[in-house]
Amino acid sequence: MAEYDIRTDSKFAVKPDEAVNALKGALLKDIRRSAYVYRVDCGGCNGCEIEIFAAITPIFDAERFGIKVVSSPRHADILVYTGAMTRAMRVPALRAYHAAPDPKICVAYGACGCSGGIFHDLYGVWGGADKILPIDLYIPGCPPTPPATVHGFAVALGLLQQKMKAVHHVQGETERSQLISPQVPLSLRIMIERAARRMAGYWHGKRIADDFLSMVDGGNLSALSESLHAYLQKRDDPRLAEIMTLLKEEYATHLEGG
Amino acid sequence: MVLKLLREVLKVGQATVPYPFVPVEVAPGFRGKPEYNPEQCIACAACTIACPPNALSMETDLENGVRTWSLFYGRCIFCARCEEVCPTGAIKLGADFELASFTRQDLTVQAEFRLAECQRCGAYFASAKELEHVLALLDQAWKGQQSLSEDDISARKALLRLCPECRRKVDLPRVKELVHTAWPAVEVLDGRI
Amino acid sequence: MMLRPEEKTQRGQRYVQALRQQFGTIIQEETWQAPEQVTLTVDLNSLPAVVDAAYHQHGGWLSVVAGNDERPLNGHFALYYVLSVEGDETHNGSEPESCYLIVRALVPPNKPEFPAVTPRVPAAVWYEREVRDMFGLQPVGLPDERRLVLPDDWPADLHPLRKDAMDYRYRPAPETEDETYEFFDVQGEGVLQIPLGPLHITSDEPGHFRLFVDGEHIIDADYRLFYVHRGMEKLAETRMTYDQVTFLADRICGICGYAHNVAYSNSIERALGISIPERAHYIRTILLEVERLHSHLLNLGLACHFVGFDTGFMQFFRVREKSMKMAELLTGTRKTYGMNLIGGVRRDILKEQRLQTLQWCKELRQEVSDLVGMLLETPNIVQRTQNVGRLEPQVAREYSPVGPTLRGSGFPRDIRVIHPYSAYDRVPWKLTYKDGCDVLARTLIRAEEFFESLSMVERCLDTMPDGPILTEGFNYTPHRYALGYVEAPRGEDIHWSMLGDNQKLYRWRCRASSYNNWPSLRYMLQNNTISDAPLIVASIDPCYSCTERVTVVDVRKKDVKIVPYKELERYCRERKDSPLKA
Repeated sequence: MAEYDIRTDSKFAVKPDEAVNALKGALLKDIRRSAYVYRVDCGGCNGCEIEIFAAITPIFDAERFGIKVVSSPRHADILVYTGAMTRAMRVPALRAYHAAPDPKICVAYGACGCSGGIFHDLYGVWGGADKILPIDLYIPGCPPTPPATVHGFAVALGLLQQKMKAVHHVQGETERSQLISPQVPLSLRIMIERAARRMAGYWHGKRIADDFLSMVDGGNLSALSESLHAYLQKRDDPRLAEIMTLLKEEYATHLEGG
Repeated sequence: MVLKLLREVLKVGQATVPYPFVPVEVAPGFRGKPEYNPEQCIACAACTIACPPNALSMETDLENGVRTWSLFYGRCIFCARCEEVCPTGAIKLGADFELASFTRQDLTVQAEFRLAECQRCGAYFASAKELEHVLALLDQAWKGQQSLSEDDISARKALLRLCPECRRKVDLPRVKELVHTAWPAVEVLDGRI
Repeated sequence: MMLRPEEKTQRGQRYVQALRQQFGTIIQEETWQAPEQVTLTVDLNSLPAVVDAAYHQHGGWLSVVAGNDERPLNGHFALYYVLSVEGDETHNGSEPESCYLIVRALVPPNKPEFPAVTPRVPAAVWYEREVRDMFGLQPVGLPDERRLVLPDDWPADLHPLRKDAMDYRYRPAPETEDETYEFFDVQGEGVLQIPLGPLHITSDEPGHFRLFVDGEHIIDADYRLFYVHRGMEKLAETRMTYDQVTFLADRICGICGYAHNVAYSNSIERALGISIPERAHYIRTILLEVERLHSHLLNLGLACHFVGFDTGFMQFFRVREKSMKMAELLTGTRKTYGMNLIGGVRRDILKEQRLQTLQWCKELRQEVSDLVGMLLETPNIVQRTQNVGRLEPQVAREYSPVGPTLRGSGFPRDIRVIHPYSAYDRVPWKLTYKDGCDVLARTLIRAEEFFESLSMVERCLDTMPDGPILTEGFNYTPHRYALGYVEAPRGEDIHWSMLGDNQKLYRWRCRASSYNNWPSLRYMLQNNTISDAPLIVASIDPCYSCTERVTVVDVRKKDVKIVPYKELERYCRERKDSPLKA
């Protein structure tokens, strides 16, 4: 219902300039070993800011690649925009853009910078940096981890190749989804999966349920007990034992027709 | 103080990880790039309903019988709700985090699915793959159940090939019973479009 | 387990009775949301008097004020002044008792104004400005008439949180291309202004500062924040369902997001009377403390940076990575994001994670105690921070700041003790507070809390009970409401949530800890030199540590000068070549 679209209003948004774009290639070649980065927080939650920070401190040390965070846009080759582009930050964001000398590279950083993220359609934001500025590189993540940040800068500088590629799949003639654990009755699988999720969450629970179901052998409880015993002995984890024992009890109830 | 500091610095030595020249290890269960397997997807919309930032979305074209599922990595918050709710394991968060891209386009995944036609009125309703998946689940659920005859089973399956509207017209009590036997698979299918 | 067996009795009855005695029929209604939460509906004209009495006579602290458009429910707007009432010496002899006492007043829609509480309780100032922005309710008698939250380019009579105002996606065209916010105008011989705005190498959120100085001496300060206003409260009431909002709550703050997530989840769990499993309480506690670990390390690193000890800063960031790895191991992300569902948590801690975390705790204790030792041995740390940025106890008492900012001024006030949640009343731990009232006290508190957090993580991992981590199958009841609260690394985060129809929130008011700390910052800056300003700002560990430039206004020379923030920060570290000279 966005009645007003800032993108179509040239008064408020920066349009890409062909001549400047042509210079960018040359810029990349020139700054490959020494790129100055200026961060523009346009209404982020700080998550991105702290992770960029982590990327330039000892463990990930982006300065190895000549990437240096500077404190004025006038020194910057690369502008990094984080945040969903709030209304209040639009003018400061444009000021930073115009202050940086041409040619420059604009990076949209994090889910909010790339698209507005979880805030994408809110009244207080424009929904990402590319709504008002020409963006050259997107670094997704919420927030991008320091390695993702290092990777992003390396891609921006042409040191690494972009990995992502658009995918468009069209359903094939014979395409069919596979049933999960078809050897196990549906109601049993659902019961075990739910119990495991309640005990250990979706991630551990899924793995635990899969392991359990792979040991279920057509209603033979003592065979299950044996394989379970060996399984638990190998892992030596009291919490895992507690969960597996509970699953076994649920399973026994199920066999009795519960 | 300075000596202590120097000692500390010497003790630590090289702190920097060699990434990107050597891959960096992430913890097991790390929530990285959502990996989508369209072959396994039944276009049931569970993930698109759960997704907090609307990185996942679905559009249904009832005119042409096409449903398009889309993922935009640029909006994803890596919460793994999609993985948690997916009934077929078609989407899982992997360890990959190297998502940087020059264009928005390269951050998108789209998958087109055909819709099933109602056997009675010919209108498009649920996604064809979802329907087939539910029928397969019912086969699995009813396998070996003495109480159901072959005829019963095929009659029930025939019902599911109708759109919700026709199903209601044809046999409301039967549908209710169906929902009870094979929940949640049928619930997903029943009357959502 | 929100209704603990030992807590079936209502806490805070004594305050309700005392207020009833004092105010009689002014108190129109009394409803209990939880054993420690009571809402009193009072006559609108007496709102300031009741809030004042709860604040000043019964040891109240203002936690949050929520406006609410209840016209669809009862024909009125409503205001909720949430106070944590903790008693004082007047109850001599009896056990101290604390509760959340919520003073509610209805505002008629045909006369959308209310008597401002700020003149009696200054802590209400930001809240009342915000209520005016978001609901168009006029606080009568509030001296500060400026906008707080809404951007300058927002239309004048559009109040986003009114139910009938607009769709949550409505984006009016910008009204202006200029920034029109009016900063204070401090008059007097030689006052000078400093705009300090929005970006810096270590900064999180953007903000804009204006310092008024006489020579090198700060006589007053003003600031404008809310450059990051996105409208998430409206989002939670519209696009999202109540169980998706946990993922939004994470994103209130990139450092203490999990604290918000727990506060939000608790508010819903209380409102719906959901018992969450014991084990989930322990896991939440562990993750909250892990969050405190990396947050405090960040602040200690910054403390090094601002006193010119940059090597220490880099060392703190090096060891901080271990706490980030800990978060990644326990939650799958470095930010402890996305870990809660209403009813529990999404991930268990198995043996492998438990042992690794314990190992890292041990290593961190050693590494950080070495670094803290070094920081304290740095010759100028005490000299630079002692008696700098003083927050006097009486100012603190009036403005209700929270967290280490308050505990550094002698108040042993920590939500984990006053209103225990999660496992904080199940595992033993030690509260830290100091009475130095200065930057040093606040820094030392963070250092001590860091080690206490490590111990708490270890204790919780060692004593975690068995059982499930998620409660399912509860009933959803619209229009119930309750508070959720968490002691985040920066202090109390508080969420007031009211459920609505269609599994959506009717109203969500989330207040981050820094919100309560900013208004008292002005007093911490006064009477200091501008070279200490960055250090003082960092000492409240705001959800953003600096800004891009500072306007320095010299009161004597009548001179306005804009100093790049970086320059001010350099001056803070080196203390030579004042940027105000020449």
